Amino acid sequence: MAEAVFDLQGVELVLPAADGPRRILSNVGFSLGAGEILTIVGASGTGKTSLLRILAGLATPTGGTVRFRGQAMDGPQDGVAIVFQDYGNALLQWRSVARNVALGVERELRGEALAARVTEALRLVGLERNANDYPWQLSGGMQQRVQIARAVAMRPAVLLMDEPFGALDAMTKATQQDELLHLRQATGVSVVFITHDIEEAVYLGDRVALLSGSPGSITLSFDVDLPFPRDQVATRELPRFVALRHDMHAAIRATGGHG
Amino acid sequence: MKYRDLFAGVGGLLVFFGLWQGLVSSGLVQYEYVPAPSVIARGLAGMAGGAEMWEEIGHTLMAALLGWAIACGAGTAIGVVLGLSPKTRRYTLASVEMLRPLPGIAFVPVALLLFGFSIQMELLVIVAPVIWPALVNSMGGVMAVSERLTDVARTLRLSALSTITTILLPAAAPAILIGARLALTLSLIMAVAAEMIGNPVGLGYAVVREQQAMHPDRMFGYVLIMGALGILLDAGLRGIARLLLPGEFRRLSIQGRA
Repeated sequence: MAEAVFDLQGVELVLPAADGPRRILSNVGFSLGAGEILTIVGASGTGKTSLLRILAGLATPTGGTVRFRGQAMDGPQDGVAIVFQDYGNALLQWRSVARNVALGVERELRGEALAARVTEALRLVGLERNANDYPWQLSGGMQQRVQIARAVAMRPAVLLMDEPFGALDAMTKATQQDELLHLRQATGVSVVFITHDIEEAVYLGDRVALLSGSPGSITLSFDVDLPFPRDQVATRELPRFVALRHDMHAAIRATGGHG
Repeated sequence: MKYRDLFAGVGGLLVFFGLWQGLVSSGLVQYEYVPAPSVIARGLAGMAGGAEMWEEIGHTLMAALLGWAIACGAGTAIGVVLGLSPKTRRYTLASVEMLRPLPGIAFVPVALLLFGFSIQMELLVIVAPVIWPALVNSMGGVMAVSERLTDVARTLRLSALSTITTILLPAAAPAILIGARLALTLSLIMAVAAEMIGNPVGLGYAVVREQQAMHPDRMFGYVLIMGALGILLDAGLRGIARLLLPGEFRRLSIQGRA
């Protein structure tokens, strides 16, 4: 494996709460290789979102080390883009789709270069016909794709995704999953994908990690040896897929599930 | 849809004036100084031929708009700062809450002592109360911006300045605009009040003058002019806002109709 994009060791996070300091994460460690999709599964309250905020540079761990491309993190980094679950809040409702996508790159690019970059990102998520629409005119799945396009337009090395398809219906979710795999294939971007859906984690991941307990820590991590390209019907029927899903469920039950 | 609303509104006004006309002409309502709308219209037509009425309209309009611009500029700027900074809020909000309920009209004697019969006197009486709706609404608007948008700005590595100009201000724009609309109506009211009991010029003074000269037709005429001016100013501001916030207005108008 090439140099790790992210490398975490012994990460701790303690946040102040109403009843005193609360430990959110304890001794979390993993590394993310270039072009790899790491899915992190966990029940609510295991610190999934906090972990992603640390990777995004939006939160500072209270212990341990987080390295991005070998360097200690110090706030949000160039090359790291995040897609939030609540696309309704994360998009600028007063900007058109194209201008939302331009938001992260309009400082360094102007005119035709900017337009080309935006069109490229929109094409990658299949929204090139909606450039002039406003976010509120689009369906939930399309709005989430606008957010993904905005991240992709920055040509990030890593895409952090916080339950991005959690609010979508099952059919839209399946389409979005395949588009994400396609996007990784087209751009070689690394992905940290957070979800509470075990099937989704196994289907998307090159590697799956289980975050469990309170405070949360990674209690299980394994490579997903399923062939690419993955297929919503065929892959999910493979004995290997079923076995991995089974192992995941068993591990969650063993660790007490909802920590 | 829109035109139907307009017709309905105008129709309501016509019924109102029709009733008024009927009650006065038939003698059912008889006060010496309540003329029929037809008489007021003749008075207005007479004044419209001369220059005086237009100068008075011009003066009051100028004072109200100037006061509004000062109050909105200062109020919005302070409101945005307060909205951004909890620390500043902690030290100033008590003062704001103490000053805000002061009736603007109470500033007339103060303003007269400070500035005499002058436009400055009018501006002080306008700005003192009008600054609050601008300040409070813009502060609230900035405070209500979703924290998620701040996350977005940080991860897209926007500078502090461009976070304010490209994210916070547009997100707060609808609230700022509501403050500006409230402020505009209040500016006209305060300008007229300042002219009635302070600086003897403009529409406010004209009403008092016609009352003392026993010209009820002209007096009522001036009152109607003020009403029309209020409607026109508000419509003008909404038109400008529609140009400045195209997406937002389309969204609001669609949601309002759903």
